[in-house]
Amino acid sequence: MSLGVSIAALMRASLLTTMRYRASFIGEAVMAVAWAAWTTAPLFVVFDQAPTLAGWTADEALAVVGFFIIAQGVLEALVDPNLRAVVEHVRQGTFDFVLLKPLDAQLYVSLHRTEPLKLVHCLVGIGVVGYAADAVNAGPVELLSATLLMLAGLTLLHSLWTVVVSSAFFFVKVDNLSWLIRAGLDAGRWPVSLYRGFVRFVLTFVLPIGLVTTYPALALRGELKPSTGLGAMVIAVLFAGVARIAWTQSLRRYSSASS
Amino acid sequence: MFRAFPTLLRIGLAEAVAYRAELVIWVLTATAPLISMFIWDRVAEEGPLGGWGQGEMARYFLLALIVRHITSAWVVWELNENIRTGSLSPMLLRPMHPLVFFVAQNLSAMPLRAVILAPLIVGVLWWRPELLWTPEPWTIALGLVSAVFAWAIAFAAQVIFGSLAFFSQQSLGLFNVYFGLWSLGSGYLFPLELAPDWLRQVLLWLPFRATLATPVELLAGLVAWEDALGLVAAQVVWAVVFVGLAAMTWNLGVKRHEAVGA
Repeated sequence: MSLGVSIAALMRASLLTTMRYRASFIGEAVMAVAWAAWTTAPLFVVFDQAPTLAGWTADEALAVVGFFIIAQGVLEALVDPNLRAVVEHVRQGTFDFVLLKPLDAQLYVSLHRTEPLKLVHCLVGIGVVGYAADAVNAGPVELLSATLLMLAGLTLLHSLWTVVVSSAFFFVKVDNLSWLIRAGLDAGRWPVSLYRGFVRFVLTFVLPIGLVTTYPALALRGELKPSTGLGAMVIAVLFAGVARIAWTQSLRRYSSASS
Repeated sequence: MFRAFPTLLRIGLAEAVAYRAELVIWVLTATAPLISMFIWDRVAEEGPLGGWGQGEMARYFLLALIVRHITSAWVVWELNENIRTGSLSPMLLRPMHPLVFFVAQNLSAMPLRAVILAPLIVGVLWWRPELLWTPEPWTIALGLVSAVFAWAIAFAAQVIFGSLAFFSQQSLGLFNVYFGLWSLGSGYLFPLELAPDWLRQVLLWLPFRATLATPVELLAGLVAWEDALGLVAAQVVWAVVFVGLAAMTWNLGVKRHEAVGA
């Protein structure tokens, strides 16, 4: 119960900060649409040359791009600003104040610096996915399983970021590292089955962006085996557990700014 | 200025070495051509597209990666930061033009960039050795000349957007829009030759091609001799336009610069 109240309070604080700059909402919305067009453009050039690629049609690949846009929106709204804030806390020594709060520190740092405005990107992404879902005639079962898989994928991304944040206690300046991971995640705008061998392995298991974008799209096509879907969710839960352990272990090693 | 330049290059190299870990991350962040290479390799698998087989694709995108890094500049962020914080003021007092300093800084990081890129290049060569070809001497010579012009245009474009910080708080946002258009129109994400016809016709008249696709296609030996000179001539025209615009925004901006101590 008190957990829900804390989360609501954190979200309200972020929302109030955003509301001060109401005019930028229009700007952000325009940018979101432009950015979606920019993300989709290479896809149209590729499928202009080849009607199908490794079993994917343009519409099906568009679903992958849609999930990619949603994931990017979540990263920019929830994950990235919080990560940068934690790095700043550790660097300036203000992280001690975070630890003094009665709230669970991982929950707090995951939500304390959210940028709700960036969720506009998710809306555009949902629009793209909706268009693609209509084009591939996805039914309610497909939509539901795609949504569940996407949530599993987002859990995975969040866990990955938690591990990066945990490393901030050892290496301090890790915000550049997040740019590097972002560049790697960029590969996720294409169906992961277009890649081969080592690259596909990395994109499925190491930087599991394939799970975030390709698997939900497969589910939308109704081509994902239930066992694979369940496996993906189990992996996501496992990753979340690993991230939690990484976080608590590195907190134990944190020597604070004043002691 | 010419006597000071070697020293500036040494300083720049020392800076790059000092921040080598960050440089590694920045270089690895700009590796989008590798992703495109894998995708287009898959497209060319069924058979060559307009003369482009898997070897040509790999060659094109490997060269795109290399040219992207030998023509890279980051003066837009440096200028923005220096103008906003006022640290440009002491630079303006020096007997040397601040932009000369930024040119030296950009050029001197190149050896280290090459070292960081080397393993990636070796990896691609190992993955797809058929990208190797026997280049004709003229394509290499003209390609290198063209790369110099590409760098000049890219640097001048960054000076233009960097100097906009004299006038506006939004200059970095404007540069991001430019960068977005650039990455679509320059051959960075896909070869312009393989774009739909209408798109290629539009891009022919825009400056983006001159900053990347021209040197890449020349170096890869994908351009005929008759077309090559026209492409480089277009680069010269764009270089003049961009350097002229850069000089204009810079001069207008410095005149109204009102930082602390200016």
